[in-house]
Amino acid sequence: MNTIEELKQLIHDKFEIDVATLKADAPLADYGLDSLSLAELLFTVEDHFSIDFPDNRQDVNTLSGLAALVDELRVPSAA
Amino acid sequence: MKRRVAITGIGLVSPHGDAPDAVFAALLGGRSAITRWGEGEVAPAVVARAAFDAARWFSRLQLAGVDRVSQLAVAAAELARADAGISTLDQASGVYMGTGMGGAAAMEEAYRSQYASGRVPPLTIPAFMPNAAAAHIAMRAKLHGPVLTYSIACASSAVALAEAAKAIACGEIDCALAGGSEALLQPNVLRAWQAMQTLAAPASDDAARSCRPFSADRTGLVLGEGAAVLLLENYDAAAARGARIYAEFAGSGVSCDATHLTKPDAAGQVRALRAALRASGLSPADIGYCNAHGTATRIGDPVEYDALAQVWGEALPGLAVSSTKALHGHLLGAAGALEAAITVLALHRRALPPNMHCDRPDPACNVALVREPGCAAPQLQAAISNSFAFGGTNAVLVFRRAS
Repeated sequence: MNTIEELKQLIHDKFEIDVATLKADAPLADYGLDSLSLAELLFTVEDHFSIDFPDNRQDVNTLSGLAALVDELRVPSAA
Repeated sequence: MKRRVAITGIGLVSPHGDAPDAVFAALLGGRSAITRWGEGEVAPAVVARAAFDAARWFSRLQLAGVDRVSQLAVAAAELARADAGISTLDQASGVYMGTGMGGAAAMEEAYRSQYASGRVPPLTIPAFMPNAAAAHIAMRAKLHGPVLTYSIACASSAVALAEAAKAIACGEIDCALAGGSEALLQPNVLRAWQAMQTLAAPASDDAARSCRPFSADRTGLVLGEGAAVLLLENYDAAAARGARIYAEFAGSGVSCDATHLTKPDAAGQVRALRAALRASGLSPADIGYCNAHGTATRIGDPVEYDALAQVWGEALPGLAVSSTKALHGHLLGAAGALEAAITVLALHRRALPPNMHCDRPDPACNVALVREPGCAAPQLQAAISNSFAFGGTNAVLVFRRAS
């Protein structure tokens, strides 16, 4: 499963949002996520992938943007 | 010009369920909702849980950062509004809520997570903050008036109701959702209460009988959880729209012992009782029922008797008294509101819930206890509900039958 599909599954498990409706480049706000639910999601994503998002990260607004950041942070442990 | 205040809606998420009629029927029948604490590494304890299905009120997405205490509060507020027959509240309405502890589950989870993984969930603060419940009610109902939280231990929601009624009486607002919510049945909170040695010992024969207010063999209080919200309105406006008026909010009295943080004081309670009678324009002989604070602690119950005896004097035998905590436990920050709702229903139905599990009344608490289930009170015109808090704050609410 690629990162985007894993993230879709996480979002579904956490917020019961239908996986089929989640589009890689749509703003997460379109699915009803606000700054608070996004913070919870990022915490879950960190747990799931065993990563730490840097404090100075770019705003993560889309699934594809989030997946790119996850992949970037996972590289060292995958090497 | 002081306006009259009507209670037109009752919303409950309580150990006896969420339908006011069924809750009152269970209490009138003397049915206890107290059960054994069945989870976590806690010394034997009994509690009163409120059954609650969050999915009925929130999507999973909406639940992000919403502690159980706020979930119960939102449900109770929605139920109160619906019970009043109002589909959309006026935006200028207020929200007045009490809570003792706020989001106890969020704090428990924060510590558990910190010690397990070194990470604390990011929404711990907005979930825990004591005013979250009132804020969630306001957001759900889109209310822009005063949205306030009172944290005064066991008197929190009684004071919240008193303040809401005053705001309506003086014309500041026309309508309010007012009450309290508490959801602190967490292992470490229970341990903290056990450490204070105020909790009832689980009754060995029947856990449901563990809380025995005013009884010679009482051993302490039983923690409960739940939320209770009343819809308060300008009485004349409620009557004009043909609303069902459960009762009139006749007045309230608030005082502080200013003597000891946890030990109750009869003189302070007397001041609150007298202030409440004065505010409602009633005399002791007018009051037919007292829903007592009656936590079933060794120290507390005789002090409450002493205070009632000082104020009622020779009229004391005419005052029927019961502590319904024997059945629903002590909801702390929600206790005043739940017991206000019960008192209002007692007036509305003209029936008195019993003071259960008191086979041998303590001679030091010589009030006229409602001894049997199903007690009718055809002459009942007015009733009071007492809430006396750690910290010394005392709140007494007075209700009168709708006229």
